[in-house]
Amino acid sequence: MLRYILIRLAIWIPSVLLIVLGVYALAFYGTGDPIKLIFLRAPGDVAYDPVRIEAIRESAGLNRPFIVQFGNYLWNVLHGDFGNSLLSGRSVWSMISAAAPVSFQLGVLAILLAAVTAIPLGMIAGLKQNTRLDYAILGSALFFWSIPAYVAGPVLMVLLLVVLPSSSVPYGWGGVFDLRIILPLIVLSFQPIALTVRQTRAAVIEVLSEDFVRTARAKGVPEIMVALRHILRPVLTPIVTQLGLIMIMLVNGAIFVELVFGLPGLGRLTVSALLNSDYPLILAITIIGSFLVMASNLLVDVLYPLLDPRATHMRRAQ
Amino acid sequence: MSDMALKQEDVREEPPANLWRDAWYRLKQNRMALTSLVIILALAFIAVFGPWLTPYDFLSQDLIARNQPPAWAHPFGTDELGRDVLSRVIYGTRTAFIVAISVTAVATLIGIVLGAFAGYFGGLLDRFVMWFTDMTMSVPQLLLVVVINASLKPPLARWMEAQYLETLNPIYRNSIIIDFVLVFGSMALITWPPYARLVRAQVLSVRNRPYVTAARALGLSTPVIIARYIVPNALGPLIVAVSAGLGTAMVLESAFSFLGIGVNPPMPSWGNMIADGLRVWRNYPHLLLAPAMMLAVATVAFSFLGDGLNDALNPRGQK
Amino acid sequence: MARKNGQELLLDVRDLAIEVVTRNGPARIVDGISLTVEKGETLGVVGESGCGKSLTMLSLLGLLPNKISVIGGSATFKGRDLLAMSHKELRKVRGGEIGFVFQDPMTSLNPVVRIGQQVMEPLLYHRNMGRAEARKRAGELLKLVGIPGAEERLDNYPHELSGGMRQRVMIAIGLACDPALLIADEPTTALDVTIQAQIVDIVKELRAKLGMSIVWITHDLALIAGLVDRVVVLYAGSVVEDAPVDELYENPAHPYTRGLLASIPRLKDEGAEKLSSIGGTPPEPGRRPAGCPFAPRCPIARAECERAVPALEPVKGEGAHRVACFAAGEIAEAVA
Repeated sequence: MLRYILIRLAIWIPSVLLIVLGVYALAFYGTGDPIKLIFLRAPGDVAYDPVRIEAIRESAGLNRPFIVQFGNYLWNVLHGDFGNSLLSGRSVWSMISAAAPVSFQLGVLAILLAAVTAIPLGMIAGLKQNTRLDYAILGSALFFWSIPAYVAGPVLMVLLLVVLPSSSVPYGWGGVFDLRIILPLIVLSFQPIALTVRQTRAAVIEVLSEDFVRTARAKGVPEIMVALRHILRPVLTPIVTQLGLIMIMLVNGAIFVELVFGLPGLGRLTVSALLNSDYPLILAITIIGSFLVMASNLLVDVLYPLLDPRATHMRRAQ
Repeated sequence: MSDMALKQEDVREEPPANLWRDAWYRLKQNRMALTSLVIILALAFIAVFGPWLTPYDFLSQDLIARNQPPAWAHPFGTDELGRDVLSRVIYGTRTAFIVAISVTAVATLIGIVLGAFAGYFGGLLDRFVMWFTDMTMSVPQLLLVVVINASLKPPLARWMEAQYLETLNPIYRNSIIIDFVLVFGSMALITWPPYARLVRAQVLSVRNRPYVTAARALGLSTPVIIARYIVPNALGPLIVAVSAGLGTAMVLESAFSFLGIGVNPPMPSWGNMIADGLRVWRNYPHLLLAPAMMLAVATVAFSFLGDGLNDALNPRGQK
Repeated sequence: MARKNGQELLLDVRDLAIEVVTRNGPARIVDGISLTVEKGETLGVVGESGCGKSLTMLSLLGLLPNKISVIGGSATFKGRDLLAMSHKELRKVRGGEIGFVFQDPMTSLNPVVRIGQQVMEPLLYHRNMGRAEARKRAGELLKLVGIPGAEERLDNYPHELSGGMRQRVMIAIGLACDPALLIADEPTTALDVTIQAQIVDIVKELRAKLGMSIVWITHDLALIAGLVDRVVVLYAGSVVEDAPVDELYENPAHPYTRGLLASIPRLKDEGAEKLSSIGGTPPEPGRRPAGCPFAPRCPIARAECERAVPALEPVKGEGAHRVACFAAGEIAEAVA
């Protein structure tokens, strides 16, 4: 088991580094002169004074080769230092750690919501394959799958206008136990729920055709226990492997949901960084977002042998 | 088999033997997919003939009739500048289709080339391409676009400016071109991996089939083998992927326009119309609902069509 | 019809008909099968794949796959019609009064559930045992079917056992609740030849100990020669011959049975006869000829065979040996 984890890590770490390198290189060669960018916003004409620019560049080590600067950046990142925001001058890390809890709580709740709604729905659809109930569940999943968050969110808010006075339609953040979290949570869960419903249904249908389900029935195991022990258990494995994909959906979704509902999380930070061309912030958020996805993939790899006893020493089959 | 059995067989309705006819037969059974196809064709019609269909110019402002609710003169109402929302939504359809088709075309092309090379030549090249593909897929797409957009916009703008100074051709001063190039480019750069994976998988599965080995043994050249065996096999799944991809590209375009990094005003895009509508939704919900509903209808239609095509073209997938 | 050699009938299947729904409409897979099992008797059900032998047995317990359903007939088990039972009643019979052993032990055991749990399940649901008691009994069962280190094996997953051991686990599951009837559906087909013999031996041993009736489905006439009391031969969804095992081997009355026997290699035969096979393939369901289903492949078919279906009737007036063939009398004479 330990060896397995070490092997996964040995493949994983270079991939993460490569993504960081790619993103850093894009920003490094694309954005132009970081010093100018800083001082374009500053009062005075520093940005157009080549001598002073050169001096600052020298002192900040910005005229060193790319690879040295990248190494430097990486070293700082490992110590939690993503540089300072061009816009506010605050440290990027402090801005991120202020915004992260909102997105994090929302994301965890969305995953939980998806798990408790989508797995039962997918099970029902799969067990009642090709019935009206199945078509209804599958159709709704496909429907909610295709509605973007920036459509679903506003439309739901407008629908609430019909029943609520306009001032009490939820907007903003009040923590996990605030009623205002309901709408953003639902919208953020749409895609993960839809994906999980479809995955679960497909997996159930596949498992249903397995001989061991027939064996369980031939033993006289009650249908509900056949579903819970003999079908759900093997179905969980392919569902859990989707965690990375769900993480991508949550990171993407957070951007829109937080913007639409006015939540002070990482998503809104991303949009403001983007609109202000705040490169250190964009870089940091992209690296953290990719890291979250990669980390979920690693987690799945590590958990996989626990879920599927056959795979203890095998590589995860794609 | 006896004569009796043969006679029985004659009576039986012969199932369609042709793959495409078979697929069409199955698609026709799927009411949702068929409805979606009709909706998409209607939207495509609107996109192509938009300029002749719109009751008003999408830019013409009527400052007296601002923020009008839906009425006969303006079925979808007017926006804060008094522009006709219906006309803008119709032009938005045009934008959506132009972007979706160009992006999907570029992404499919990248995917086919990379996937076919990886699958056909295998070995180290294959490994590298697939690693790169996986990597691209594990960066959250929007963030990647944000980075690409933020990084490539300044150099592109600088280059355009330089070209303008050199040629004085006003086309280089047109910022819409930068928008489109960036939007197409960055979207194509994040949407190619599924196509590459699919094409590679198809090539791999076909490459080692006995009949392809036999064809190679008979001395058929590589292009002939690809044209005769690999392309027809990969076509079905590719059609499914492209139909889903068109929907995805449409969503991405409106997403970027919504965030203000895609198609910029005054060009109408459903995305930027939603963003505009979001600022005033409490008072003028119709400004939000019109483009949102159009986008929802389009994306749902593409999803259901893609799903139906998948069932029709990959019958083994369903049960 | 049913014989009663002073013995009580445990299972009496009459005129069972099963249909599959295809794109071209329904097709008969099982067309009026009747068979009986006496208490303590071991019945062999023989036929090529697709002849409906497995489906017949699965239908008794309501285990038919989707789109396949029973459309007629009855199956009386201990005086109750299995086919008319409610789902709840049927569940009590499954694994409780009728045990099932399936063909492929690789796929018939749940790969992500421990062996112990899988053996315990019938005990938990039919015997109302507590988990500790059921676990103890499961250990005894594994010992009974000859699994070395039985108790430790309870915590293994199926993939940690060999094919033969897994089939023993399946048998332990089938016998867990002391069923009156054990249905074994080609239990040795997926196994090596040497293991096949071991499985047959262990079943014989268990039968001697526990005294249950057995229905053993196979396409291998040779394998079951020393195991079964009586053989029912199926062809294309119908019974073509039903005879005590020795009688069947010595005086096969149906040309299909003769074909099957001729395709078995025998050491006794002094090499005079070549191994033969039956030409052609069985008709697909829904494409059966109007007359005897075997007629198109039959070496001695005549005009009447293509017109009418022969009934299952006693050979030479004997009650025990029955055959469905117009030419059966002539074959019997020719052999005698």
